[in-house]
Amino acid sequence: MLRRGFVRAMISVIVAPRALLSQQAGKTGLPPPAPVPWTLGLNPKTPLPQTEVADTITESEQRFFTAAQMATLVRLSDVFLPPLEGKPGALQAETPVFLDFLIGSSPASRQAMYVDGLNWLDAEAQSKYKRPFAKLDDVQVDALLKPWLRTWMNDHPPTELQENFINIAHDDIRTATLNSKAWSETVSGEPKDAAPSGLYWYPMQFQPEICSACSGSTGMPHVKAVPKASHKIPSYPR
Amino acid sequence: MTINEVFDVLIIGSGHAGGMAAKILTESGAHCLMLNAGPVADVARDAQHKAAYELPYRGFKPPGRLEHVFQANEFNANVWVDEQQVPYTFPAENPYNWVRVRLFGGRSLFWSRQSFRLSDYEFKAKSRDGFGEDWPISHADLAPYYSRVEEIFQVSGAMDGPPQMPDGNFVLDSEPWSESMRRFMEAGKRFNMPVCKQRRALGRDGLASSVNLLLPDAEKTGKLISIANAVVRELTVDKNTGQPNGCHFVDRLTHREMHAKARIVVLAAGTLESTRLLLNSKIGNSSGLVGRYLMDQIYGAGLTCSVPEARNGKATRELMGGGAIVPRFRNIDSKSDSFLRGYALNVTSSMGPVHPRNFATYGAELQRKIEEYHGSAFFMTIMGEVLGRYENHVRINKDKVDAWGIPVLHVETQYSDNEFNMAKDAVEVGSTVAEAAGFEVLSKNAVPNPPGYSIHEVGTCRMGDDPKRSVLNNWCQSHDHKNLLVVDGASFTSAGWQNPTMTILALSMRASEHLASEVNKGNL
Repeated sequence: MLRRGFVRAMISVIVAPRALLSQQAGKTGLPPPAPVPWTLGLNPKTPLPQTEVADTITESEQRFFTAAQMATLVRLSDVFLPPLEGKPGALQAETPVFLDFLIGSSPASRQAMYVDGLNWLDAEAQSKYKRPFAKLDDVQVDALLKPWLRTWMNDHPPTELQENFINIAHDDIRTATLNSKAWSETVSGEPKDAAPSGLYWYPMQFQPEICSACSGSTGMPHVKAVPKASHKIPSYPR
Repeated sequence: MTINEVFDVLIIGSGHAGGMAAKILTESGAHCLMLNAGPVADVARDAQHKAAYELPYRGFKPPGRLEHVFQANEFNANVWVDEQQVPYTFPAENPYNWVRVRLFGGRSLFWSRQSFRLSDYEFKAKSRDGFGEDWPISHADLAPYYSRVEEIFQVSGAMDGPPQMPDGNFVLDSEPWSESMRRFMEAGKRFNMPVCKQRRALGRDGLASSVNLLLPDAEKTGKLISIANAVVRELTVDKNTGQPNGCHFVDRLTHREMHAKARIVVLAAGTLESTRLLLNSKIGNSSGLVGRYLMDQIYGAGLTCSVPEARNGKATRELMGGGAIVPRFRNIDSKSDSFLRGYALNVTSSMGPVHPRNFATYGAELQRKIEEYHGSAFFMTIMGEVLGRYENHVRINKDKVDAWGIPVLHVETQYSDNEFNMAKDAVEVGSTVAEAAGFEVLSKNAVPNPPGYSIHEVGTCRMGDDPKRSVLNNWCQSHDHKNLLVVDGASFTSAGWQNPTMTILALSMRASEHLASEVNKGNL
């Protein structure tokens, strides 16, 4: 109780001069500070506006891959994961455009693996079939890709350049597609078919109560609303 | 509490080691101050169930962040320590995966819960094979503490362990083995593989962490004060006595510099953070061994198999399911030519999906394979002992600081032929056993993940009886300062193949009780 009384006294000391200043301002005819405490009324009953994920309803700008590389990636995506059994394929999930964003945001080594890999694939197509990879038929594509496919364990993709690119790109294309909204809208509801989801942890860089205390917006020290002793402490039989 | 109060004990870190120290010491009557470098994780406030497509990177790890945290994805990216905010350095040719959590409760919030005791094959390893040092304690010294820890953490298991995996105080697992596991057991006999029930902490209410099993007991005493977001810069020393007397810390959010005072300092910040603190504080290192003998366990090598009879929707609970631990079986009754010590195998029979990367095909053919093999997976993964070597070490990098201006660690460690040969042996043995059991091997890998990946870093302040050859005594006290303890994994003299958590908890409990008794006797 003594501590609480002390805190209240401190608050009054901090608040009082501001209140006096405010009254003085009023006397000089200045308008009151506006807006009036703007968070007043924001509470758990406040309806939250409904929002959508941008890339599920709008078109994103392609920035990283060249037109030729993108054409190769589009063909590769369509081959690796075409529409099957009523599920969207990589193209319906807009996987190539997403990968343009993901790889364009990635460290240089990952960018180089994709750029070199797509260029190499196109060069192979030109060398063997005298046409770009994007224009190969299914048999030709299969003949180019199959020799490079490997089985591998988590965190240990093949280490050779071409195998590395083909197998990682395959994995990325599948993941980006299965994690898309288009895919989630077609799942059957069976456990093995469930849309990927999980517990997402927000950034914990700033704790709201600490930030409001240090922002100076109220000028009042942070006071815990609930006394420490009332925290629920689990008790287990031992 | 008063401003500038001198606490009985300052505990730095709130994970398993710090939580246990807080529980034991406050229950013994000590007034403790606990500092933790990060915030309290409140799942109701900080987390929300979301679909992968709702996240900016569709569930992929945010690019460029957490490059060395293989365990990270977009869902959990914000729980790990950011490598830009708290960097560390290493030689380009020998990367190190330092996987850190600074939330209140530390890594005890997320650990895998595998719960094993070390045996005298680890405590007295030098006496058996001549390498390294024996611990100054044996299993008999630690057994009573293991037993109490197992009770608190509700460790499930069966009393089926061979001498190299001592049994404990278990919630008994009496589930019958599935047929696929029985076939594995039979096939493993030619290698004298003891196949035992997994040992796992069940915890309470779905969690087995410092925050629900240890800290509440300390808080109940009314003798624990905890401060979040307190990044400790260095320990302080009394100018008159030369003994540690508190620490300087900086507030994580405001960067305000603060000072805490205590008669006794307990480091429990996690192996490498405790060691970094000692090195930055320049105390407790008369042996010159602080930072030396960094160890962990090799992970990443293993096999993915398929049980043919479980394919095409034929998996049943009688055929598939369950897990086993194969404790170390090499260099027990015979001697390997290619490596010292040994490895354990985690074995899992699963009715879940087989990952597409186990099939070298794509498109419609891959989809057929995925459906055909669903429910038939059988996994073996290694946990192998890394030898303690002087040259595997950490030191302070004076040229680089973290976000609070604290000099960072330079980690210089690499695996030797001993570890690589161990991984190779595990995959060869695993393949042989799988084929003898009638399983198809779909993929295998004999290359360990980078050091640190297992999140089982131990050593760097090893315990021993000789102050010239060790940093701590057998009570986890600094040889140089009896009021300075390190109760996390830094005290390990050898790593073993075991998940170190039970041993860290038991050592922290033992050290804290000894500390309390020394204080009561007036020896501190």
